[in-house]
Amino acid sequence: MAIKIVTDSTSDIPEELAKSLGITVVPLTVFFGEDAFKDKIEIQSDEFFDRLQNGNILPRTTQPSVGDFISAYTPLVDEGHDIVSIHISDKLSGTLNSARLAREEFPNANIQLMDSKLGSLGLTLVVKAAAEAANSGADVQAVLDTAADVASRVDLFFVLNTLEYLQKGGRIGKAQALVGSLLSVKPILKCVDGEVHPYEKLRTRQKAVQRLQDIASEGAPFEEVAFIYQAEGEEADQLTTFLAPLSSKPVITGRIGPVIGTYTGPNVVGLALLNPKTS
Amino acid sequence: MVSGSQDMTNQHVASLNAEGLKQLFLSGTKFIEANVDAINSLNVFPVPDGDTGINMLLTLQAANDSVATSLPQETVGSLIESLAKGALLGARGNSGVIFSQFIKGMANGLSGCKECHGSNLQSALSHAADAGYLAVGTPVEGTMLSVMKAAATAAKNTKGDLVDVLRNAYESSVVALARTPEQLPILKEAGVVDAGGQGLVAFFAGALTFVGSEQVNFEISAATGSNSLNPTAINTDFLEHTEDEMYGYCTQFVIHGSEFNPSKIRSEVMHIANSTVVIGDDKLLRVHAHTYNPGELLNLGTQKGNLDQITIQNMDLQYAEFLEKHDKAQRPLAELGIVAVAAGKGISTILKELGAAVVIEGGQAMNPSTAEILSSITEANAKFTIILPNNSNIILAAEQALEMSEGKGFVLPATTIPQGINALLAFNPDQSNEDLLSAMTRAISETKSGEITTAARSAEINGISITEGNFIALVDGKLVSAENSAEKALITMLECSLAQDDSLVTLYFGDQINLAIAQSTASLLSERFPSCEFETIEGNQPFYQYFVSIE
Repeated sequence: MAIKIVTDSTSDIPEELAKSLGITVVPLTVFFGEDAFKDKIEIQSDEFFDRLQNGNILPRTTQPSVGDFISAYTPLVDEGHDIVSIHISDKLSGTLNSARLAREEFPNANIQLMDSKLGSLGLTLVVKAAAEAANSGADVQAVLDTAADVASRVDLFFVLNTLEYLQKGGRIGKAQALVGSLLSVKPILKCVDGEVHPYEKLRTRQKAVQRLQDIASEGAPFEEVAFIYQAEGEEADQLTTFLAPLSSKPVITGRIGPVIGTYTGPNVVGLALLNPKTS
Repeated sequence: MVSGSQDMTNQHVASLNAEGLKQLFLSGTKFIEANVDAINSLNVFPVPDGDTGINMLLTLQAANDSVATSLPQETVGSLIESLAKGALLGARGNSGVIFSQFIKGMANGLSGCKECHGSNLQSALSHAADAGYLAVGTPVEGTMLSVMKAAATAAKNTKGDLVDVLRNAYESSVVALARTPEQLPILKEAGVVDAGGQGLVAFFAGALTFVGSEQVNFEISAATGSNSLNPTAINTDFLEHTEDEMYGYCTQFVIHGSEFNPSKIRSEVMHIANSTVVIGDDKLLRVHAHTYNPGELLNLGTQKGNLDQITIQNMDLQYAEFLEKHDKAQRPLAELGIVAVAAGKGISTILKELGAAVVIEGGQAMNPSTAEILSSITEANAKFTIILPNNSNIILAAEQALEMSEGKGFVLPATTIPQGINALLAFNPDQSNEDLLSAMTRAISETKSGEITTAARSAEINGISITEGNFIALVDGKLVSAENSAEKALITMLECSLAQDDSLVTLYFGDQINLAIAQSTASLLSERFPSCEFETIEGNQPFYQYFVSIE
C-alpha cells in the first residue's frame, strides 16, 4: 500500500516521466466535428496540429467523464493505495469536477483532490514533486503540502502566435482585453491564480521569445525548469540549450498536447519555472 | 545680430508697482508675439511642430490671463505669484516649462515685495536663473539657460537703478544668445541660435522698452535657408494698443487649403479675436485665438478652407474650478492610471485600446499645456499615474504637471509615438509599479522609431541638405535623409536603419495620406525589403506623413 498520484492529460507530462514515477494520466477528449479522440492516446501532437492548421474544423474538447476517473481510480483503490489526484485549474476545465463526482463512488478510499491552478508542464512540475514525495515515503498530508507548495512557486508563461484559439475556445479570461487590437501583437500570457492573464505584448514572435528568455534569465536560478513546445526544430533546440544552465536539475521538455493545443493554437512555446523557496 | 540702443530722452522708471509689473509682462509678451514665427523658425530640425515661439507665447499668455482673471493684486509680490501660477499651469513645451520656472523663481525673489526696485529685480533674476537650471534634469549650456544665467549675472553686477539693471540684463542676454551656437554644436551646424534663448531675449527687450521708454533695436538672427524672418518692428504705439486681456473662449483649429496668405489671414483673425497666433504656410494654417464668439472665428476659417482639429475651451472657468470639477470626475479611483499624449485620432484609439486611461489629444496641433496634462492626471484618478509624453518637447511639462498634482507617478521617457505604443504593449496591471516601470522603460529603449515629415525650411544638417518642402526622415530623432517623395524618404530611412533581424515595419499614416496610398507604399516597400512584413495603420496625425515602428 502506497500513495499514488493521478493527473490529467492537460499536464502534457512526457510519457516516460509519468511511467517512471508511476503517475496515472486521465485523458481529456478532443473532437474534430463528430470525430472524438482520447488526448495523447488516440491522437498525438503532430496529427493534431496538422489537422488544426490544414483542416477547416475548429477542434473542441471535453473534460474526462466521471467514468474515466472511476476507471483510473478503481485499480489503485483495489490495490489498497491512497490517491492524490492533482489537476488543471478548475477555472479552465471541469476536469476536477468529474474527479470529485468519481470520488463519491469510493466512500472507503482515501482520495485527495487538488486544484493546481496550473496546466501543461506547470502542472507536471507539481505532479512530479508530489510523486517524488510519495515515492520517498511521505504521508498523504505531506504529499499534499509538497504539491501545494510547488504549485504556489510555479510561474507559467506562454508565447502565442495568435489569441484566436484562446478566444474561440472561451478560455481567454483577462487576456480578452487584447482581442480586437488594431495592431497585430504576439502576446506573452501568464497563468495567474488559475486564469490566463496577459503579461506582455510584443510586436513580433522573435521579440516575444527573446522576452521570454529574458524573463527566465532575470528569475534564475530556478529549482526546476520545464519547456513546452509544439514542434521539434531549431527554435526548440536553441531554447533547451539556453534553459539548461538556469537550474541544477535537467530541463523537462514536453510537447503541447492536443487539448492544450486546442486553446493555444499552433507555434506556441511556454515555460514553467519553479522558483526556489524563499526562507 | 542683436543690438540695443537707447535714445537720450530717457525717463527712468525707478520702481514698478503691481500694475507696472503687469504691464512689463504684457510688453514682453507682445515682443514674443510679434516675433513668434521667427522664433519658431529657429528649430534645429525643420520639423513643423512643437514650436518654441508658440510655446513660450502661450505660456506667457496663460500667466497674463491668470492676472487678468483674478482680483487686482496690490503688491508686486502677490502679482508675480499669480503670474507664476498661471505660467506653471499654462506651460507648454520644454522652453515654456523652463520659462514658467523662471517666472516662479522671480516670484520667489520678489516674495513679500510691495514694489520692485533695481535691487529687487537683481534678486528676482538670480532666483529665476537658478529655478530655470533646476527645471531640467541635466542642464545644457548653449540653451535658454545660458541666456538667463548671463542676464542674472549682469543684473547682479549692475550698480544703478531698475532700468540699468534691466538694460544690462538685456544686453548680456543678447551676447549670451549669440554665443549659443559656439556652446552647442548642433545649433552651429543648423545655423541657428537657441530658440528658447531668443524668446527670452525678446521678452527682455519688451520689458526694457516698457520701463525705459527707450527704443530697443531688437533683431532676430535668421535661420539658414529661411527667407521670411524679418522681425516685426515694435514701437510703443503698438504697445499702447494693448487692450485689457479679454478671455472668453480659447479657440484652436487647423485650416487645410491652398494659396493661403498667412499674414493676411492673421490680420483678419486679429480683427475679431485676441491673443492671436496664426502660423503655417500656403496649404496648412494653425490658428489659436481668444474670442467671445468662436462661431465667428470658425466661419472665417471655413471661408478659407477645410477645418480640422477644432478645440474650443471656455476660459471663463478658472483653472481652479476646472480642476475642481475634474476632482469630482466619475472615474473610480484606480491603483494605476496611464496618461498618454497622442497625435491624431487613430493614434488616440490605439493608445486607449492598449490601456491608457486618459489620452490627451490636444497634442495633435500643439504641445499640451501643463494644465491640460494636470487635468488628465486628475481625470485618470489613480493612486499612481504613469505619463507617456510621446514627444521630447512634452516631457518637462509632464514632469511639471505630475509635481503639481502632488500625486504619485512617473513620467516615462517616451519621445515618439511608436515608443509610447510599445511601452503600452509592455503594460501589465498585474505587475508591481516598479516592475512595470522597468518593463515599459525597456520597451521604450528597445523601440526603433522613424518619422517622415515635410521640411519647414531649407537647411543643412548632418551633411544632408534639405530644401523646404522636402520629405525628411528621422530615425530616433536623428535626421537621416531628405527626398522629394515620402516613399523615397521611407526607403532611405529603412536602408539605413533596418537590422538583420528586423522583421516587422509598422507604418502609422497621417492625415495627409489615405489608406490606398499607404497600402501601395507598403507593397512597394515589401518588394524592396522582402525580409520584412509591413503593416499599415491609420494614425491621422497632422504634419507627419508617417510614424514608423521597426521591430
